[in-house]
Amino acid sequence: MHNEDKTVNQTAMTQDSAPQRILLVDDEPGLREPLASYLERQGFTVSQAASAAEARAIMRESVPDLVLLDIMMPGEDGLSLCRHLTEARAIPTIFLTAKSEATDRIVGLEIGADDYVVKPFEPRELVARIRSVLRRSARGAVDPTQNEDFLFDAWRLDPLKRRLIDPEGAIVAISSVEFRLLMAFLEHPRQVLDRDRLLDMVQGREAHLFDRAVDNQVSRLRRKIEVDSRNPQVIQTVWGGGYMLAADVRRVPSGPA
Amino acid sequence: MTDTETPAPRPGLIARTFTMLWPHSLRAQVMGALALALLLAQGIGAALLYRAQHEYREEQVTHALAIKLVMASHDDFAPPPGPPPEDRAPDDQGAGKIGGKDGAKPTGPDRPQQDGERRFRHFHHGPPPEDVSRGPRTESVDHFALQAFDRPRPEMARRLSPMLTEQDVNPAGLIVCERPLAKDPMIQQRMERRAALMRRHINLPHPPPMEASRLLIAAVPRPGGGWLVSRVVVSPDDPWLPFTLIAQTLFIYLVLVGTMAVILRRIIRPLAALTAQVEQFAETRVATNQVAPQGPHDIRRLIAAQNAMEDRIIALINEKDVMLGAIGHDLKTPLAALRVRIECVEDDNERLRMAQTIEEITRSLDDILSLARVGRPSEPLETNELSALVASVVEDYEDMGEPVELDDMPRIVLPLRAVWVRRALQNLISNAVRYGTVAHVSLTREDDWAVVRIADQGPGIPESQIARMFEPFTRGEPSRNTHTGGAGLGLTLARAIADQHGGTLSLANQIGGDGGIVGLVAELRLPLGA
Repeated sequence: MHNEDKTVNQTAMTQDSAPQRILLVDDEPGLREPLASYLERQGFTVSQAASAAEARAIMRESVPDLVLLDIMMPGEDGLSLCRHLTEARAIPTIFLTAKSEATDRIVGLEIGADDYVVKPFEPRELVARIRSVLRRSARGAVDPTQNEDFLFDAWRLDPLKRRLIDPEGAIVAISSVEFRLLMAFLEHPRQVLDRDRLLDMVQGREAHLFDRAVDNQVSRLRRKIEVDSRNPQVIQTVWGGGYMLAADVRRVPSGPA
Repeated sequence: MTDTETPAPRPGLIARTFTMLWPHSLRAQVMGALALALLLAQGIGAALLYRAQHEYREEQVTHALAIKLVMASHDDFAPPPGPPPEDRAPDDQGAGKIGGKDGAKPTGPDRPQQDGERRFRHFHHGPPPEDVSRGPRTESVDHFALQAFDRPRPEMARRLSPMLTEQDVNPAGLIVCERPLAKDPMIQQRMERRAALMRRHINLPHPPPMEASRLLIAAVPRPGGGWLVSRVVVSPDDPWLPFTLIAQTLFIYLVLVGTMAVILRRIIRPLAALTAQVEQFAETRVATNQVAPQGPHDIRRLIAAQNAMEDRIIALINEKDVMLGAIGHDLKTPLAALRVRIECVEDDNERLRMAQTIEEITRSLDDILSLARVGRPSEPLETNELSALVASVVEDYEDMGEPVELDDMPRIVLPLRAVWVRRALQNLISNAVRYGTVAHVSLTREDDWAVVRIADQGPGIPESQIARMFEPFTRGEPSRNTHTGGAGLGLTLARAIADQHGGTLSLANQIGGDGGIVGLVAELRLPLGA
């Protein structure tokens, strides 16, 4: 077992005394079964469903903490089931999709999925996403934040579409790590966040790599949002080891992109 | 040099003027052809009409002359009603008055009627034919000769003589000529008489002389000496004839133009609508508002055929998309399963390599699917900040431990499809890293272009091979990519993406100080105002 697995286990256990239950809905047994056993090794309790109807039947028995949902399934498709899940039950949902076109992803997010993973995905990345969604849902912040943008220093971040828009209205590309880092800052404005804290909040794929590179990630983020990245004003370095977002953050309903 | 060059533009200018004046639209061409054809037809018609009319008049005049001469000569010879008065000397006063120099001229005008009665012998005979009766009477004179103002008409004489022969009049010595009406002594006499009559009875001015009218005179020698002279007044040709023709032509043209305009409208309107539809379809590949079949039968069929073809093309495109989507789905799901399964592999290195292979397959699959989709305008352009996009692609490679260098970049905001541009950049950087050991990425603004350059330090590509590199499924020399996969679609896709954004993608070898190739530069240019 790898080091990371242990950390994941701990996190999963510490947030909730019982292992968290995941419902995996995919019509392809070739993917469903190995993925279920992988997730079980990561400390989750996994139930499997081969169709939307089966998933509904399982959910009548017990409500899972999170649903992993394939979009393209025979019969009722994932989008339809997802609409039902988020509207009626408020169960966090992550899409598994074979389509990589941006429009498909956005459609999934807009109908209420919390995240999406494009097949073939890296299993560790999936686990990181699952934990991130579960954390947010545990804080009870899933739904209210979904449709709100963060405004800081004339910049706007749409957390749903993971879209950062500069003061001129242009989209600024950010990686998923940068997105999570920025989210950490935006959720704790004007607070000093040390490297460990940031690492804890941003933990995503390849944590071992990120581990060594918090500073690197911060400098990348700065290159994109600071007027002069050598003399940063928005994300300031605090002497003694840490960073702080030196801007007021407002939450506004999601506007047009 | 200048001498040989100066004349050159002249034909160009003429050709240009001609091209400019030449009608380009269907409507103008049809109208032009119509006008031309009509003009030609009317011209021919007018010429024929004019000739026929002319012929008819000549014939009429000839007949009139013949009848007059024949009747006069029959009168003359059959029952001789007394000694002919020809032996009377011609009137000297009259000759001096008109003819001038030659007193012997028999045509000299006379003093009023009372004298003339004796000197001229007029032939009266039953009611003459209608057209002849109006004309001047036939007279018999001692001498007849052509005057300076007479115009001989030998062709009419030729026509007249057989008619006379037929009626037993010897046409030998026949003279036919044309004379201005006002110059003829007999007519002058008549006019004066009439004028006097009018003055006497009604107080009216002179009637205007019929200047334009012509007098045709036929003179035939009498067997007994002297001449028989008959006259026919020919009214002038209708001066309004050409104008009538022009007015007629214009009228017909207007009527034709009116009808043609209606017909052309029925043809051209659906054609124009169809053209717009085809242009739009060619650009967007979306059949939004197809023209309903309309207009004449031919056009109706054309529109219906075009609509059917567009529907078919759309169906094919959709079919292709569905098929590719299915392929993508069918291949990606097992790949995902495989990716999950390799997590069980204990050996870290082995697992990493497996993951890389799966990633390569996924990349190739994505390239194939993307290439099939790149022409679709489904995604709108969005305002993006290009330097952040370039940086995020480069950072991905940095995270993978690839040797990618990034220059300081200016912020450049332009409309683009980020997913696609990201893909193009990934492919270009992948190539640089794969074949050229190091990728050096820079972004600059040049005029109206954002220019991304990806330079490597590899062996470059032989100049003759560069164009071929953009063809699908082409890869560099096999020796250079033994350890790498890829379907050979990277550059094809990158160029298609550049095209999709109205930009360009070019490859060029970088030449070092010693003249040798030190690397390859891929240059992606995107328009700032795409």
